[in-house]
Amino acid sequence: MLHSIVKASIVAALIAVAAALWAQEQQLQIIPGGQNPPPVGFKDDLPPGAMRGKATTCCLECHEARIILQQRLNKAAWTKEVDKMIKWGAVVEASDRDALIDYLSTNFSPDQPPYEPLRTTSDKASGKNGGKKNPK
Amino acid sequence: MDSRRNFLKQMSGAALAVGATPSLLAWAHAAQSGSIDLPGEDGLIVRSLRFVDLETPVEYLNTWLTPVPHFFVRNHMHEPSELNAEDWRLTVGGEVEKPITLTLAELSKLESHSLVNTLECAGNGRSLHRPQVPGIQWGKGAVSTARFSGPRLRDVLQRANMKLTGKHVSFRGLDDIPGKVPPFIRSVPIEKALDADTLVATHMNGAPLSKHHGFPARALVPGWIGAASCKWLTEIKVLESEFVGNFMNPAYRFPNQPGKPGEAVKPEDTHPLTALNVKSVISGPLDGTSLRSGRVAVRGAAWAGEADIVKVEVSTDGGANGTAAGLGHDHAHYAWRLWSYEWRAKSGAYTIRSRAIDSQGRTQPATPVWNPSGYLYNAADQVTIHVA
Repeated sequence: MLHSIVKASIVAALIAVAAALWAQEQQLQIIPGGQNPPPVGFKDDLPPGAMRGKATTCCLECHEARIILQQRLNKAAWTKEVDKMIKWGAVVEASDRDALIDYLSTNFSPDQPPYEPLRTTSDKASGKNGGKKNPK
Repeated sequence: MDSRRNFLKQMSGAALAVGATPSLLAWAHAAQSGSIDLPGEDGLIVRSLRFVDLETPVEYLNTWLTPVPHFFVRNHMHEPSELNAEDWRLTVGGEVEKPITLTLAELSKLESHSLVNTLECAGNGRSLHRPQVPGIQWGKGAVSTARFSGPRLRDVLQRANMKLTGKHVSFRGLDDIPGKVPPFIRSVPIEKALDADTLVATHMNGAPLSKHHGFPARALVPGWIGAASCKWLTEIKVLESEFVGNFMNPAYRFPNQPGKPGEAVKPEDTHPLTALNVKSVISGPLDGTSLRSGRVAVRGAAWAGEADIVKVEVSTDGGANGTAAGLGHDHAHYAWRLWSYEWRAKSGAYTIRSRAIDSQGRTQPATPVWNPSGYLYNAADQVTIHVA
């Protein structure tokens, strides 16, 4: 009897947690108020390709994808960057170096449209600070 | 909406308790709402979160002092993971008779000096160079102005009895270094280090420095590129010669002679960046906007590093004819001048340009001076608008 009560309590607790997480998901879709939707074509991760996995492990260990996503460089410039990063500790197998440079210079070449950055949440838009005045 | 926000805050707390990281939560928000919650940073353009690089939108460059939540953030690496006022120490060594270690309380006992300084990242405007160059792709807003306060660096150096052999002073920050990246150490010549306006700043706009801005103390080298003003300062060394390291060479150097855009520059034909150049930015109207005909206030900010702004010319015909803008009353030696120009706009399409002139007779070029790292972009600013 006691066991079944404990079991029921555990099940009830799990349902409550699941419901809360589901509710959080629902809430996340509609808040925060006054914020713009992400720009069309917004990206926050590396693009598909054979070297995506390697780029994720060797580059994103130290910095996020956004730092790569915003660059628009030709192959010579990407080669310099990759070699600099290898010197600074990025673990890139010698056999992967050329393919990694190709992946970066194909996806982030000067002819690609500019990267669209997001903004931090605005106090004014969310009403948190009521549009803080300039300090004197 | 408030109840939803409170609910989310509670849920965020719950998620943190089970090990989710703040950055993951920020991502969750970003994916859904198009903005990223970062406490204390209000409406800034996110160039990077890991490590933190945030740009001030040009429309915020319209107050003489930039509120800290609007002040751009430039980090070269990760912020120090552990910082507290009690454990923090500042050492002064190298070419000194008596190496010293100061606590924050000891530093705070030294006479405090305040000055208003425009801080600009050397790479501000990098994204506007053609051909494009690598680095954080700043637009026009890696620049802000604040009142900085703290002891003079020369008073700190004096306590350690600097030797006559000291010719340069290096700063080391507590940046959390990823991989084998060289530490963030840069030096300034002794003349600038001993200048009465060079500070070990502990306050910004009257409040203790926030973590993003170098808590508990940073160097403040007024009028110079932002990288000179090392954050999370922990070590000062007096040196016989300029510091040798990545952030002095090859980084933060400028060609002795401007070359053709895209052309390589030999390292021996470069020099370290020091003071900022002359520049203006239009904070309104914004590029690409449509306005009604009538009175339009064209406004912005102009700065010149160690020099003073003497004039800002505004042109509404793409630069052919310019009129002097009115300069704001607030001014200080190293601070920008706000400027404004009231224009009676008739319907049509316009390119508005601003061009600043400083006390050294320098002005902004029509086209930027290209260099391999995209430093010191200072072409005359322009926006294109439509008047209905």
